[in-house]
Amino acid sequence: MALQILLLIAFTGAFLTYLLGKISSKLRNIFAVFISTVLLGIIAFLYGNFSEKIFYLEFLGLPLILRIDMFSWLFAISIAAIGTLSIIFSLSYIEGKERTDFYYLMMLLVNAGMLGIVLSGDLVSFYIFWEIMSWSAFLLISYNRGPALAAGMKYIIMSIIGSIAMLIGVLSIYTNYGTLTISEIAPQIASASSSYILFILILFAICFGVKGAVVPLHTWLPDAHSEAPSPFSAVLSGILIKMGVYGFLLIMYVIVGVKGALINLGSEILRFNYILAWLGAITIVIPTFIAMLQNDAKRLLAWHSIGQVGYMILGIAFGTSLSIAGGIFHFFNHATFKALLFMVVGAVEYRTKGIRDLNSLGGLIKKMPITFIAALVGACGLIGVPLTNGFVSKWLIYKTLILEGAPFLAFAALIGTWGTILSVYKFLHNMFLGQLPEKYKDIKEAPFSMQLPILVLSLVIFLFGILPGIPLRIINEIGTSFGFESLNLTIWGIVSEIGILNMMNIFFAILIASIIIWILFRKGEKSIPISQEDSYAAGSYIPKEKYHYTVEFYNPFYKMIKPYFRDFVDEFYSIIVKAVRNLSERVRKIYSGDLGYYVIYILLFSTILIILKMGLGLW
Amino acid sequence: MVKVLEIIITVILASGVGIFFLGLFRKIIARIHWRYGPPIIQPVLDIIKLFYQKGFSHGVIFDLGLILSLAGSIVLVLFIPFGGLCPLKTSGGLLVILYIMLFKSLGIALSGGEGANPNISIGISRKLILSLGYEVPFLLILVAVMTYYKTISIVEIVNAQRNFQWSLFSPLFLSGLAYFMILPAMLEIRPFDIASAPQEISSGPAVEYGGKYLALFHIEHAFSLFISIALFVDLLLGGGANPLFFFIKMLIVFTLGVFIHAVFPRFRIEQAIRYLWKWPTILALTGLISVVVIKL
Repeated sequence: MALQILLLIAFTGAFLTYLLGKISSKLRNIFAVFISTVLLGIIAFLYGNFSEKIFYLEFLGLPLILRIDMFSWLFAISIAAIGTLSIIFSLSYIEGKERTDFYYLMMLLVNAGMLGIVLSGDLVSFYIFWEIMSWSAFLLISYNRGPALAAGMKYIIMSIIGSIAMLIGVLSIYTNYGTLTISEIAPQIASASSSYILFILILFAICFGVKGAVVPLHTWLPDAHSEAPSPFSAVLSGILIKMGVYGFLLIMYVIVGVKGALINLGSEILRFNYILAWLGAITIVIPTFIAMLQNDAKRLLAWHSIGQVGYMILGIAFGTSLSIAGGIFHFFNHATFKALLFMVVGAVEYRTKGIRDLNSLGGLIKKMPITFIAALVGACGLIGVPLTNGFVSKWLIYKTLILEGAPFLAFAALIGTWGTILSVYKFLHNMFLGQLPEKYKDIKEAPFSMQLPILVLSLVIFLFGILPGIPLRIINEIGTSFGFESLNLTIWGIVSEIGILNMMNIFFAILIASIIIWILFRKGEKSIPISQEDSYAAGSYIPKEKYHYTVEFYNPFYKMIKPYFRDFVDEFYSIIVKAVRNLSERVRKIYSGDLGYYVIYILLFSTILIILKMGLGLW
Repeated sequence: MVKVLEIIITVILASGVGIFFLGLFRKIIARIHWRYGPPIIQPVLDIIKLFYQKGFSHGVIFDLGLILSLAGSIVLVLFIPFGGLCPLKTSGGLLVILYIMLFKSLGIALSGGEGANPNISIGISRKLILSLGYEVPFLLILVAVMTYYKTISIVEIVNAQRNFQWSLFSPLFLSGLAYFMILPAMLEIRPFDIASAPQEISSGPAVEYGGKYLALFHIEHAFSLFISIALFVDLLLGGGANPLFFFIKMLIVFTLGVFIHAVFPRFRIEQAIRYLWKWPTILALTGLISVVVIKL
């Protein structure tokens, strides 16, 4: 019962917010925050519930079912949490822009759609909610108009191709088994032939691959992420593309099942999950290196979103209990730190009046220290520095890859991290470090409604980095429900016969070492604080505003790798698009508008028919 | 209590060895140049002196970054077996070592970044590019070692090499060779001292450091020397039964490195990357493939 009420609140809340906006914008803001917190509260309250209920008996003769278990709960709580924080962040970000009522409506609708996806217990409602999410995301991506419209178009076209693939899969399942309830398909599909399972998996993989931006289906993402409004970028990157990951988990381990998805499929090397793992590895390496070449802060992060999804796909597809835990945990972690980083860019964009070009910012740490700390924490999470949650999930994935004898996959995953360091440092340095340009002298720290979500997310990253046992316990339960072995967890990490991870020890070691050095540092002669202009230049004076230290940060390296790291897939798609456009252009010429031509067409067609009849006697 | 004692002894020994290497470094170079050179104890005197000199601060991150980087290096020492001493051996193994190494370079990079000096920006950009350059062969080597011994624990890797069954003389030979080829880059000595090139960019990231900042920077450098060489000895030369043997092995590796430093000119950054991504990477990749073939 609670699930229906939850979705009812989510959807009616969205429309009520829109209507309230017509009365008063203040009321609307309060109501939007209220609705999303209520949703968060209800979902938190549902922790540990297992239920499956029919909520609307007949839709085209099929029962629509809502379902909750640990698996959907984890995704639901992440959706609600990131949703709430991004709404709070939006309060000042979107203020004063046009069509704000519409913006809030769509934000809440996207969240409601995603909640519907993770709570649906049959494929019909899954598909309906999936489409609600896709379309409202399209409207939000193209909210800014201009180039955003093209980005949204690209997104929705690829998304529709994915949806059609899924629809074919759903119809095929229905014609074969006569039901679309997830819990009823699962036992039946286990006895299907492996080629049929492969067919279903590939169809669904296309849909989820587009949404999850797995190479080679990723090309919509960099445009969409950079053009969308920043709070929505946070949702888009933090949660929405992870619906693809949810889909992969659902189809591989809930519907088809571990045995069907991993063991009985294909030959030794060309197994479905093995190929998917390699796609994941490619998705890690290439986008991470392309990210290094970006000069737009949001575009840089967008390419990293693709790269990080690669870790999740790799973890999920590799299919050991450790890698599944790592993959799911990385989903959760990525939601926290990537949402945080997009919000940081949003805050900087808000204060600098829309500047997010990394070559023209710099030195903002002096003006926006809290935003900088958040950016640092988020960046550390993205790299996977120990003490942040990103480290733990990556450690789980690396460890299982090495010990299960997949050294090349492990290498791909590891090198991705080092590529991340370079681009993330550039991100930090070019925005916050280096010299503060004269024009940003009077910038203020981000407003409180932006600081709050930023700080909450930073805390979560640290908390789950030092005490990873809390989320891992939930994730372990998901893994065992899929039929994997249970992990041996403690609050501070993981215990197993080979390789122990103890985050507490690492945390205290670093803390104590830092304190000792700090004391030593304080004991030394006191240092003199000086301004940024007062720096060493071999005896000569560095003129103000003459140099910008952040421009072309890795120039020698760019020159080396630029020819090799381009988005070849996107270029390939562009060629196809061009060819199709040319073809349609030619086809259009048939319709000249001149009646004489049409008469000739009719005559020609009739002649052909007559010739066929006389000559060949076809009918 | 024993644990605490072990931690303290490890840190003191490691810093002692690292600083001794700094002194020895200058001495050997001087002798190769036909000079007499400073006394070996000179770095210690320098560090003490620097603590009593005034330094300049550019801001909070300028201080904290340096502290964090040194803290990372000290913690890292606790994870690396030093001839039987390894206080934190049960906290995550080689993968954690790999990641705590990040503290060092990130800390310096953040600290330098706030220094707002063009030389620093160039230096850090070069340093990060260089580290990406040697990380490619280095990770291939590490993955090969971990796959060969089927463990991620560095202590077990050392134990498996007891009785002169060194990795260097096993199927990991090619990986070992590649490791030796990238060692100068990891130690940032010539031909790879691009990031700190004193004559071009005034020591790069260190240019704004003075007084106690420079002292901490030197200590950090000493630890880095220790870590890179100790890791080499542990992974490929069988570690050591006790700290003394371990130290002798380190000394040999270090001296070889200094000889290379003394006679080579400096690479440009793109030359360095081209070198690192060519021969060492090819060797490391062949090494990894041969290990996989043997183990399958």
